[in-house]
Amino acid sequence: MDVNVPDARLMPDTLAPPAAFSGRGRRFAWTLLLLAVAFGAVPAAIVGTGSSYLAQIAITTMIFVILSASLNHVTGTAGLLSIGHAAFYGIGAYAAALLSTRLGLPFVVTLPAAGLIAALFGFLVALPTMRLVSIYFAVATLGIGEMIYVVLLNWVDVTRGPMGIRGIPPISLFGWQADTLLSRYLAVAVIAVACVWVLHRLTHSYYGNALRALREDDQCADSMGINVERLKIESFVVATFFAGIAGALLAHTSAYIAPDNFRFMESILILAMVVVGGLGSLPGAVVGALFMIVLPEALRDIGDYRMIAVGATMFLSILLLPKGMLAEGTALGFVRRSFSRGWATIAGGTPVGWK
Amino acid sequence: MVFDVFFLQQVINGLSIGCVYALMAIGFTLIFGVLNVVNFAHGEVYTIGAFVGLMVITALAPPLLAVVPLVLAVGAASGVGLERIAFRPFRRFTDEASQKSRAMREATLLSSLAVSIVTREIMMHIFGGDMQGIPSGYLLQQPVAIGPIMVASGSLVIFATSAVMLGALQFLLYRTQTGLGIRAVSNNQLGARYVGINTDRTIVTTFAVGSMLGATAGILVGLYDGAISPHMGFAPGVKAFVAMVMGGLSSIPGAVACALLLGVSESIATEFLSSGWKDLITYSLLVITLVFFPQGLFGHGRERA
Repeated sequence: MDVNVPDARLMPDTLAPPAAFSGRGRRFAWTLLLLAVAFGAVPAAIVGTGSSYLAQIAITTMIFVILSASLNHVTGTAGLLSIGHAAFYGIGAYAAALLSTRLGLPFVVTLPAAGLIAALFGFLVALPTMRLVSIYFAVATLGIGEMIYVVLLNWVDVTRGPMGIRGIPPISLFGWQADTLLSRYLAVAVIAVACVWVLHRLTHSYYGNALRALREDDQCADSMGINVERLKIESFVVATFFAGIAGALLAHTSAYIAPDNFRFMESILILAMVVVGGLGSLPGAVVGALFMIVLPEALRDIGDYRMIAVGATMFLSILLLPKGMLAEGTALGFVRRSFSRGWATIAGGTPVGWK
Repeated sequence: MVFDVFFLQQVINGLSIGCVYALMAIGFTLIFGVLNVVNFAHGEVYTIGAFVGLMVITALAPPLLAVVPLVLAVGAASGVGLERIAFRPFRRFTDEASQKSRAMREATLLSSLAVSIVTREIMMHIFGGDMQGIPSGYLLQQPVAIGPIMVASGSLVIFATSAVMLGALQFLLYRTQTGLGIRAVSNNQLGARYVGINTDRTIVTTFAVGSMLGATAGILVGLYDGAISPHMGFAPGVKAFVAMVMGGLSSIPGAVACALLLGVSESIATEFLSSGWKDLITYSLLVITLVFFPQGLFGHGRERA
């Protein structure tokens, strides 16, 4: 191939399509649609049917959306396979539960506190384990996840062990209490949307590009002057922070938590959501969470077979859709989008930055 | 003096638990060495071994020695089936880049996880989620006195079987053509293919051998503990996995040593802590090992992945 002829796929769009059909416009429309579903259709359905079962599923889905989006940040974007994510979810849940039942702190304090405590544990875990590569890191997170579970189960004085913690107060905000189903759902949905938005801004930025560079080849990223170790720790801390937030939401919406909510299988379920949705793609993580929560509930009629269905779905999706339902674009596509201004044609008509 | 005897007894119990972990860890290590991926469904092979053993015992009531070959055969069959379902479809791309790519490895890891979930749920469906008792005639719990200490006959059987199987494995790996093939593929799959080794067949053989060891461990523990359940594979599976990682991923002697170490330290830990905390010992050992010896205790600096 002639070196001077740039590959057509790499060329910037010299003729920009009308705004409504461009990537930005389409993304805006999708966002509006999703927000309309989250804040219009689902609350309407909850009010209309008045079914607490439906509301419970909607709340669980929103919590798992946060979890899978946060795991996607560390596993999908930064490329660190973590199989102990549920443990940090558990730390957040127990932090919120203990702070509100023992110390009587309000929700406005327990929510960020749960996130920060989980992030602190994430930092402590990340500090020594970040030297590990690939499978060693995955096993370390598995071991730490199980350690946290064992502590939650056996430290009866503090966590009440297998009995769990009851009577956690509902979400409240300066005197307003989310004690109806609808208000509980709305509170969780607002927080979930905010979390996903923050993660979106983080992933689709120069910082996110650095994380992707880390995932593709950390030695190369290191040689390009990216502080690999620090980025890995930061991405892990961010992910555990959001896992802690999700845990606090679980504690305050279900009023009862027990260590079994945070076992290894839960970590696997979250990982399955990320994989089914598409590793590295934030919309994929959201869709994967919806899919993996709603599917077993939709299959409740066939009762005991639903876990088989979950496993089979996971297997088939890896086999048939190796990149997931909403695959991440190519790494080059991300770079191109991020630097598109630099690649725009100058007046003479020659593209800048790629030759 | 009483303490010493008691202590020795705990060490022997720990060694027999460690032998079970070792039998499973070898399966993990063999498969990891050959394919470079972790087989998360190994715990289910162990459970299958236990349940098939129980079914044979309740249906036919054969002598104990006749159960073992059957369990071995079923273990081999389940290993071959597992390879076919969860691993073969992901080996479509055999070039070096795909074999080293992270995405391929994670896909295979997750597919084995998915297969293990499905297998476990199907077994729960067939046998129910509760513990099932083993007929008392087959239990290996008679106390045997060796000097001042009492040992359950099950411990001795587990020692003997593990020793025989490890010996057989060493013979297979270092004295036969098949073993040479396994070692070659484990060293460099592409190179082995170039010199005319049928890598597909070698991988299937490895799965069969590893799963035979796992299934045997399952029935031994079933006979020793007296009760089995579809969930029984999880804990030893994770422990064996830990032993493999501590041993350095691809070193069989390392995996065996670490499995014994884990077994002994767990059973000693139950003396000082309540039994709920004993798992903490295993995982702390894992994390401490990984932090101070990132390649495992017996690892030899595998090529960085």
